[in-house]
Amino acid sequence: MLEDTLRVQTIYIVATASESTLRQRSTFPKHTPPTDSNASATEDAPKKVIKSVFTSAEKTNSLIALAGLTALAIISRFYKINEPDEVVFDEVHFGKFASYYLRGSYFFDVHPPLAKMMLAAMGYFIGYDGHFLFDNIGDKYNDNNVPYIGLRALPAFLGAMTVPLVYMTMREAGFPILTCALAAFFVIFDNMLVTQTRLILLDSMLVFFMMCSIYSYVRFYKTRNNPFTLKWWSWMIATGVSIALTTSVKMVGLFTVATIGVAVIWDLWELLDIRRRLTMQQFMNHFYARAIGLILIPVVVYLFWFYVHFAILTNSGPGDDFMSTEFQETLKGNTMADGIFVKYGDNITIRHKDTSVYLHSHEHNYPLRYDDGRISSAGQQVTGYSHEDPNNLWQIYSDNVENTKIGKQVKDKDVIRLLHVATSSWLLAHDVASPTMTTNEEITTYSINEDGSRFNETTFQIILESGGDKLRTMASNFKLLHQSTKVAIWTHAHKLPDWGFEQQEINGNKNLVQKSNLWLSDNIEGKNASEIDQESSKAVKTRSFILKFLELQGKMISHNAGLTDSHPYQSSPIEWPFLVKGISFWTENETRKQIYLVGNPLGMWIAVASLAVIIGVSGADLLSRRRGFYPLNQDVQKRFYYATGFFFIGWIFHYIPFFLMGRALFLHHYMPALVFSYMVLAAVHGFIFIEGVDGPISDAGPETRPRQLQRAVVPVIAYASGIILMAIHLGSFLFFAPLSYGTSAPSVAGLARRKFLPQWDYHFAK
Amino acid sequence: MRNGHSSAVDQTGVPVYRGSQAARGSSLVGNSSITTDSRQSLDESREHHNHGKVVYSNDNEDSGQFTKFKSRRSLPWYQSRELQVVGAITLLSLIVRLWAIDYPTSVVFDEVHFGGFASKYIRNSFFMDVHPPLAKMLIALTGWLFGLNPSFDFKEIGMDYIEPKVPYVPMRLMCGLMGVAIVPMAFYTVRNSGHSIHAATLAALLVLFENSLVTQSRLILLDSPLILFTAFTVLAWVNFHNQRNNAFSDDWFIWLFLTGVGLGLSGSVKWVGLFIIATIGTSTINQLWNLWGDLKISPRSWLNHFIARAVCLIVVPVAVYMLMFEIHFLILHNGGDGDGFMSAPFQMTLGHSLQDSPLSVAFGATVSIRHQGTKGGYLHSHVSVYETGSKQQQITLYPHKDTNNDWIIQKKDGTVPEGLEYIQHGDIIRLMHVSTNKRLHSHDHKPPMTEDENHFEVSGYGYKDFAGDANDEWRVEIVESNDEESGKFLHTLNTKFKLVHTNMNCDLFSHKVKLPKWAFEQQEVTCMRSAVLAKTTWVIESNIHANYPEDAPMVNYKKPGFLGKFLELNKVMWETNAGLVESHPYDSRPSSWPLLKRGISFWGKEQKHIYLVGNPVTWFMSTAAIVIYIAIRGLLFLRDKRGYNDDFNGLREYYELSGGFFFVAWAFHYFPFYLMDRQLFLHHYLPALYFAILLLSVTFDLACRFIPNRARLVALVLIASIAIYSFRVRAPLTYGSEWIRSECEASKVLTTWDYDCNQYPDNYAQYAANAAAKVAPIEGTTGAEEPAAIVDSFERDTDLQEQQAVSEGDGVIDAGAAGAAGAAAAAVAEQEAEDAQITDPAVSKMAQDGEIEPTFDFEVPVEDDEVSENDKNDA
Repeated sequence: MLEDTLRVQTIYIVATASESTLRQRSTFPKHTPPTDSNASATEDAPKKVIKSVFTSAEKTNSLIALAGLTALAIISRFYKINEPDEVVFDEVHFGKFASYYLRGSYFFDVHPPLAKMMLAAMGYFIGYDGHFLFDNIGDKYNDNNVPYIGLRALPAFLGAMTVPLVYMTMREAGFPILTCALAAFFVIFDNMLVTQTRLILLDSMLVFFMMCSIYSYVRFYKTRNNPFTLKWWSWMIATGVSIALTTSVKMVGLFTVATIGVAVIWDLWELLDIRRRLTMQQFMNHFYARAIGLILIPVVVYLFWFYVHFAILTNSGPGDDFMSTEFQETLKGNTMADGIFVKYGDNITIRHKDTSVYLHSHEHNYPLRYDDGRISSAGQQVTGYSHEDPNNLWQIYSDNVENTKIGKQVKDKDVIRLLHVATSSWLLAHDVASPTMTTNEEITTYSINEDGSRFNETTFQIILESGGDKLRTMASNFKLLHQSTKVAIWTHAHKLPDWGFEQQEINGNKNLVQKSNLWLSDNIEGKNASEIDQESSKAVKTRSFILKFLELQGKMISHNAGLTDSHPYQSSPIEWPFLVKGISFWTENETRKQIYLVGNPLGMWIAVASLAVIIGVSGADLLSRRRGFYPLNQDVQKRFYYATGFFFIGWIFHYIPFFLMGRALFLHHYMPALVFSYMVLAAVHGFIFIEGVDGPISDAGPETRPRQLQRAVVPVIAYASGIILMAIHLGSFLFFAPLSYGTSAPSVAGLARRKFLPQWDYHFAK
Repeated sequence: MRNGHSSAVDQTGVPVYRGSQAARGSSLVGNSSITTDSRQSLDESREHHNHGKVVYSNDNEDSGQFTKFKSRRSLPWYQSRELQVVGAITLLSLIVRLWAIDYPTSVVFDEVHFGGFASKYIRNSFFMDVHPPLAKMLIALTGWLFGLNPSFDFKEIGMDYIEPKVPYVPMRLMCGLMGVAIVPMAFYTVRNSGHSIHAATLAALLVLFENSLVTQSRLILLDSPLILFTAFTVLAWVNFHNQRNNAFSDDWFIWLFLTGVGLGLSGSVKWVGLFIIATIGTSTINQLWNLWGDLKISPRSWLNHFIARAVCLIVVPVAVYMLMFEIHFLILHNGGDGDGFMSAPFQMTLGHSLQDSPLSVAFGATVSIRHQGTKGGYLHSHVSVYETGSKQQQITLYPHKDTNNDWIIQKKDGTVPEGLEYIQHGDIIRLMHVSTNKRLHSHDHKPPMTEDENHFEVSGYGYKDFAGDANDEWRVEIVESNDEESGKFLHTLNTKFKLVHTNMNCDLFSHKVKLPKWAFEQQEVTCMRSAVLAKTTWVIESNIHANYPEDAPMVNYKKPGFLGKFLELNKVMWETNAGLVESHPYDSRPSSWPLLKRGISFWGKEQKHIYLVGNPVTWFMSTAAIVIYIAIRGLLFLRDKRGYNDDFNGLREYYELSGGFFFVAWAFHYFPFYLMDRQLFLHHYLPALYFAILLLSVTFDLACRFIPNRARLVALVLIASIAIYSFRVRAPLTYGSEWIRSECEASKVLTTWDYDCNQYPDNYAQYAANAAAKVAPIEGTTGAEEPAAIVDSFERDTDLQEQQAVSEGDGVIDAGAAGAAGAAAAAVAEQEAEDAQITDPAVSKMAQDGEIEPTFDFEVPVEDDEVSENDKNDA
């Protein structure tokens, strides 16, 4: 095969070159000293170390192409960036967060902080003070004196800079100018990328950093023959920092980490191969170097942004309620410090943490018989009531009748009894099914006047989950565990029927670990914040960064998973590559203008087809090689798997994991994958129309075997088809541009023409 | 005969995996003698227990493969060591699994569901369940053969079996015997994979003394059929694999076919059976890939391999699965409480009928309009008002036929033309509710349930001679049609249309949201902007007009054929299954299963308790086997890359092939659960546990290769004894037998096992004492209640009383004055009528699904004396 031809050539050169090097090379062809590489070239190639396969003329052409494409990218992103001068779609969130940064007030968001801090920094530099809260889509910027053009310029600029990165990545991966330009062109003129990057959103930063990671990794991979050199270290650390930045924008950046990670593991696996002749020590050096550059450094960078985040947001703000009491105590102006220690004998209110209803009872009994025929104890009702009421008051007693502990503080794990003040009856749980859940216990009360025979059913253990080991109002979250039957007092958002005045059902839950078992005491009757016990101080407390980070990260993940509410514009991942559904970003009723997020349909459909080509070609190649046929030239095959295949893996990793997510998903989650699919598209175009590949493209190392210089042949048909593809893409882009920029309103008929699929639900289409 | 090539190795009778000895021989010429030596010493040690009696054939050309065994019965069968072992174990299994199977004498756990389904099969009444029908039909068949009275409905856990003479023992026996059969299956699977009798015996014994498997197979549940069919499939596949050098022989075809049948049967019990399909599928792809790489096999021959597998492993299972549904449909030909889940055409096959209606719809026609996006039924109204929003008359969806579903189509101005004027796409209409003379109306009020800016309330508004207003106007927009004509004109059944409110530009919409009690929990109807198309489409189902010509073309639902019904039912099952997301006190997540963190409480009474929990010894050992397997394979993988050639005397591939298959099977039966959001239970792990036990026995076999034969027997006895002791310790939880507190406390290996030891007495004598003390039978609260028979009167006019009230309600105008006393009285009447007769899909979903909402009798006991006390207080 080809390797054989190479060897033949080597031997041929051996025969013609000077004697001293002859012997060595013929015995150890794989270990040619670097100085010999000049001799390895074929006769028509220059007898020098090959720095690059590309001629200087080509390099100039490439630069011109790059400059032109970058200019187009900037124009496309900045065109009429001042329109609309209203809040569009998720600018509601991200604009608001930027304002919070500028005010320093704590907020909570499911995304890591970097991109939002960049927006805030941009605002800071252009003199925005964070006075505007971006409350509703359609709020006017100019009326509120918001320098929104500056804010939008940052994402737009980074969105434009993605284009040269795509070009250079393709170029570094060894593709001809035509192919690189094709990929960049498709990225420039995609309606989704344009719309999404010229607004105050995070995706532009995400895609930019993602492409930085890919570019750096390609550069790093090309230096693999000279490991542990400065260049090698630089590009590896650049890769590490880039993936950290990507992840610091959105957790989706983890997909980029996975893409790079798979490539690195593959690389290491190859190095481990005994035929590479690395000792275990050398291999471990490779391993440790990557662990530092691609794990340790990224983690530090990622944590750093959170450090900055906490350093900026020092004031109490709208995000307080998401955090634990310990966390809230670190914020200036928080309410937690107002907590008062609860003592035995105090009359307190007890509020459910999740549903915010008070533990309540009143002089009405459970009906003896429920609608479904079950029978209750007919005891006094205990319900969840959402308003303040004297019936919410409970007096707290110890379980010891002699040692009442009156006046002493209530501690963690104390066993207590609760007396309902208004009806003078003890809170009680017993082995009777609750009104609506046959698996849970009924909670009721029994009068203080009756005998003490049911004493054991009225004792509860108080277990503090947060806020120290003493019960404190506001600060302590606690569970009430019934002592004799081991249930926790619990409630859920289920209203009782008429007999229960549609208040919330309260029952005894057998699942003791459930998060929704938590209650808190928010008030002691007759005492208020001004009467603070001496033990509690109002000073802002500190908490270690790591604890704060872990708590916030945990909350981010759980809240992200909890975003399951359905949204009219949400879509499922299977629809994205085919662009089945768009998102309405913004509408204006008077002018009938709208911004509707939809990709460039023709471009995206061509991209999907190219992905199918990849699967088909690689499948056919695998099957035929299994039967002993080698249909592809070895270099072409290598480029196909290592470069095109890498981009394809990138697409897979930025797309497939969404299928596993339960949260509400939107079309714009496809953006990172879309960029990869366009790179694949260009590469597949090259695979079909361009013969051969340019090579070698990686830097030669001391042990690199001399390789033959190869040049790709780009026939006219490749240019012709490339131009046709670009024309189709551009035409499609311009056709949908009014909806992407929202600068002009298409007529009803125009909208109907633009409705390629029935699910594209434009406004004003009638 | 292949055993012509007898050698010392062959006569050992143990199907030693010979590795790629021939291949290795060529590469390691230098040390091949050493290999042979060590092998011989190994084999000699093995001869003791086989005495060379059972002769296995071996084919030296067949290197790289397992030894084949053809003439296992060179001796009379009764002298075969293997059969003796199997016989003994099976006998033991019969005793262990069927011991006191008649206890408890009342309904336990999910017997509520599966017993109940048996009754429904006997009554031929249609029901909906998330599981395919096979196992339920087997249970029903047993019940039918032994005279199960279908009026017994297994409604609640704890219902007595003895008094109504329920043949529950045969029904449990059916499941129990299937559970028994799993034990020999495990033996032969391991044995036929090429492992020693010791390993096979160990696998069988561990399966036999597995508390959770015993518990599950003693009750009327689906798990023992599922595991049996899964085990059978694997056994057939192993046998097929052993025939791989006799491709296309009779045996080869028989086992391949039986594998396919096994796949079909497993899938027809529970959808978890799909995991075994995935397992076999992966194995098949692996086989085909290897065959493809074998250049000796021509593409033509490969194609034959491919087609044979495709037919037997795809076509056969699908046919079996569909056959089960065909039988299911044939049995359930009457309507039942599952009707509400199905579409109108489907219901037509369940004994409900619909008269032919004229095709074209003209103004003035009286029509009923069915919602298409949900199974909620017909656009409905009645004399009750909303208690929120405008307080006008309610508009709901009602699932049953009723005169209150009738609407007259009027023109935009509220009149009806003299002649026949057919309705076209784009026409603006008004809909007048026939019995209350209110018009379908929408306005800027919040709907009762849905708090969303896009939703508006839909109400009935007006009175008899009220001219109406612009908010009564709806535009007919045809969305989908069967033919061109019905795309232009509104046709009965053939045209799907939207009703667009012209003033507010919103579409008449309904979704699966129940209105509160005051609207009888019927489905909410709103007018929604930018709604999902499917939920805004409607169809005219009946169409009556005095002036229609006699010969007007008529139309009716096309009754779906088998395939249509099959696909629809499977779709509904899938949706219902995915919808089971409520939490349950005993549900658990997959991550807790391999460590047996928690069990399931099945039943408890009279200080006895059935609690599903595994045998911790078996359980933890099997999990350890999995971990060891991953560790060893991972280590070898890395070492291979570094050029080490670990071979372990040819045992390596032996571990990798059969062990690898069981490992893959385990992984396929375990990991997919992580993707499921629905509620999951410990017993979902049981098929995976079965494979983990098989892998454990393989690991045992491998480990034993390094010790002498006698020691191997000792090891087997030792492990089995520990497992059996552990089984015995927890047996009272398995059988629901008498126990004492101290023993109970001692049995808790993990603190997270939540059975309550305090319920047991301090000594066994207490039981006798309790029994003696119980002179008079206590009147149980549940027993005292008559099981309310569900009368499914689909056709009955439930709103009869309501209609009577209509006359009183006449003239009730807008603005909430509709709360007239007469209407209120009617509302109460209707509520009662509907409570009795509506089969609410949401409720019946819960009641019918196999695994939700088991009510635990022992947890909700209303203390007898307490109730009577309360009763007295009340009096």
